[in-house]
Amino acid sequence: MTKVLPIMLLLILGFFIFSAVNIHYGQPVFDSSKYYIDHGVADTGALNIVTSIYLGYRAYDTLGEATVFFAAALGVFMLLRRSGEGERD
Amino acid sequence: MRRISNVVRIFTRKLFPFMLLYGCYLISHGHLSPGGGFQGGVIFGSAIILLGLVEGVKATEKRFQEMLLSLVKNIGMLVFVLAGFTGMFLGGFFLSDFIPKGEIGTVPSAGLILYLNLTVGFMVGTGIAVVFYRLVRFGSND
Amino acid sequence: MGFNGLTVGIIIILLGLYGVLTRKNTIKMVMCLYIMSSGVVLFFVSLGYVTDGQAAIFEDGSRLMVDPLPQAIMLTTIVIGLVITSLTLALALRIYEEYKTVDVRDLINKQND
Repeated sequence: MTKVLPIMLLLILGFFIFSAVNIHYGQPVFDSSKYYIDHGVADTGALNIVTSIYLGYRAYDTLGEATVFFAAALGVFMLLRRSGEGERD
Repeated sequence: MRRISNVVRIFTRKLFPFMLLYGCYLISHGHLSPGGGFQGGVIFGSAIILLGLVEGVKATEKRFQEMLLSLVKNIGMLVFVLAGFTGMFLGGFFLSDFIPKGEIGTVPSAGLILYLNLTVGFMVGTGIAVVFYRLVRFGSND
Repeated sequence: MGFNGLTVGIIIILLGLYGVLTRKNTIKMVMCLYIMSSGVVLFFVSLGYVTDGQAAIFEDGSRLMVDPLPQAIMLTTIVIGLVITSLTLALALRIYEEYKTVDVRDLINKQND
C-alpha cells in the first residue's frame, strides 16, 4: 500500500494539472516582448535581445541575483570550515 | 580509489587553457552572439573543476588559490554596486548607461553591458570553483 | 495537448516530486529538488515559443522572433537553483558530521531522543 500511494497521488495530481493548463502552444503570450524586440537594439546597442533585457532594461533583477549568489557562496564558505581556521573565538 | 586513465589526464591538461579561453570568449561576446555573463562564468568554473577532478584538489589549489578566487568574487560584487552608483551620480537613475555606445556589431558597442557581463562572469566562475573546493575538502585533514 | 515542451516540463516536475516523496537518503532528496527546478525552467522557456520563429538574436532582415522575456528570467532561475542546491548539500554534509547518518528515518529517531 505504501508503495502504491505516491504513484496514485502523482497520477491524480498530473490529471488535475493537465486539465487546468490551457495554453495554446505557439502563440505569443507576453505583450512587453513586442516592445523589447522592436526597440531593444536601438536603446541598448546589443544585438542579443536576451542580454539587453537582463542587463539593459532589467539590470536591477540581475543585481538581486548576484546578491543571492554572493550570499549563498558565502554561506557555503562559512558552513564548511575546517577546525583551526578561525572558528572559535 | 581507481586512478583516472592516462588519456583523460593528458587531454585535460592540454585542453585546459582552451577551455578558459572559450569561457572568456563567451563572457566578452555576450551581446553579439548567444552567451553572456552566466554562461561563460559557468564554463570558466567548470574548467577549474575538471582540472581539480583530474589532478587532485590539493595540486589544483596550489595553482588557483582559494583566497585569490574568493577575493575576485567579493570584489566583483562590489564593482557591480559601484557601477550602479556611478550611473546614478553621472546621469539619472541607478544602473543607467553612461558609457557612449559604439557602432553596432563590434565588441565595445553596448555601453555598460560589456562591463557588467565581465563582472558577473568572473564572479560566477570563481564562486563555483570556491564552492567546489569547500565541498570536496571538507572532512579531510590536510 | 500534444507532446511539446510544456507537457514534458510538467512530467519532469512530477517525476522529481516522486523522488522527493520516496527516497530516504537526504542527498537524493536534494537532487530530486533540483530536478524539479529543471522542469520548471523547461516549462517557462517553452511558454515563449512562437511558431516558425527565429532565435532572439538580431541579424539582417526582420523575421518572426521567439519570445525573449522568459529566457531572460530563467537565466537567473538556473543560477539561483544551482547555488541553493550547493547550500543544501553543505547543510547535509554538516548533518552527516553531527549525527553520523544521512538516512531520514534514523535522523527523525535521533532527534526524538
